Amino acid sequence: MKPRSEALLRLFAVQASYTYERMLGIGVGHASAPLLRDVLSSRSARAKHEAVARSADFFNSHPYLAGVAVGAEVKAEEDGVSGEVITRLRRALSGPLGALGDQLVWAGWVPALIGIALAAASWVGIWAIPFVVVLHNVLRYRVMSWGLDLGLREGLGVGAALHRSWLPRVAEDAQRVAAFAIGLAVPIVAWHVLAHASRSDAEITIALGALGVTFSLFPATRTRVTGLRYGLALLAACMVVVWGTK
Amino acid sequence: MISPLAVFLVLLWGAIAGLDLVSVPQGLLARPLVAATVAGLICGNGAGGLLAGMVLELYALDVLPIGASRYPDFSVAAVAGGVAAAFAPDQLAVGMAGLVGLPMASLGGWTLQKLRRRNAVSVHRRLERVAAGDARAIWELQRNGMLRDALRSVVLASVGLVFALLVSRLPWGDRPHSVLVSWAVLAGGITGAFGGALRSAGRGARRRWLAVGLAMGIIVVLVR
Repeated sequence: MKPRSEALLRLFAVQASYTYERMLGIGVGHASAPLLRDVLSSRSARAKHEAVARSADFFNSHPYLAGVAVGAEVKAEEDGVSGEVITRLRRALSGPLGALGDQLVWAGWVPALIGIALAAASWVGIWAIPFVVVLHNVLRYRVMSWGLDLGLREGLGVGAALHRSWLPRVAEDAQRVAAFAIGLAVPIVAWHVLAHASRSDAEITIALGALGVTFSLFPATRTRVTGLRYGLALLAACMVVVWGTK
Repeated sequence: MISPLAVFLVLLWGAIAGLDLVSVPQGLLARPLVAATVAGLICGNGAGGLLAGMVLELYALDVLPIGASRYPDFSVAAVAGGVAAAFAPDQLAVGMAGLVGLPMASLGGWTLQKLRRRNAVSVHRRLERVAAGDARAIWELQRNGMLRDALRSVVLASVGLVFALLVSRLPWGDRPHSVLVSWAVLAGGITGAFGGALRSAGRGARRRWLAVGLAMGIIVVLVR
């Protein structure tokens, strides 16, 4: 397997040994290894080991964009940049790659695809699922591959190249699509689930949902009320009603 | 009753979904919509699993797995929720999915923190080799991290499966108002998805897009 393909494959498991201390560091080191082995083949064993050790140091970013850092670091090592500068590059990339990736993926295309699938599932059933899974993985592969190539091409200049790229603009657009898709999905899912409910049951459910949304926005309760906590509290109350009354 | 083959497949699917959440490959398999539907299909009730997945997904939309934040794990929880929904009567499917899936998501989140601390212990044990640039030590850490996560997921899926089967055996049909459980789970899901979207949308264009989506969703429901 070619070093680039091997690195790309390893990037799929970049969070396999995630820790709170090094975060993605070990995974990035693992993904960098085939490329470092290739570009540093003529260097001394000590230089190779130092590069591998640096690549596994603390690093944090969105996992799909970790390839940008892998590529940039490998290019910098190939260019003979000092270890201190490479360490600074990794630290400098952590923030932007984390923020942009979170906006693009976790707050952007994932909720957008899921919202569309939720809305579509009411009509096409389970067939909505393979569609979004395939689409997500195609997008994910393309982004990872692009990021790795960007890093390998730009090296130390990858930060500026990242800001000039399509990424910041698309990340913003993806979040808007996600907001639209979630807005679309919520009433459709509620309608789908409440299809056989009585009118009063449906009204009570919507009212309880609206009350929960209010709690989750009210300044005094917004940090404490999540969907999960509210759902668990409602469930506990229901269990008392269902099993505690005759 | 659930067949031995279905038990094996549910545990296998639980391991795959649990691994997919963080370790490998993060390919959307861990999302409740996918995890619960496949679990339902394994148990012979894809429609029940889909319903469970749709509602649990509303909760998962409230979760942003950013940086070192601690969050519930809906992957294996949704597998267990899908099994519970598959064995429940239609009107109780959502309720059973929530009754099993929501506590399992909290438990799963706790196990994720334990896993990360265990990974850190593993790194400390190989610290000298990693600092010396030993690529073999880095590979061992990756391999062990994946195996540990697979074990976590299988154990969690086993607990979830037993929980789901126990809950589905309770005499829900004898209880008045048992359908309330389904409505409670849906109300929590609406809070999760919509409250989370409103909080993260801020006050700018994204809030307007959310409002447009909501209006379109309501129109679609009314037209249907």
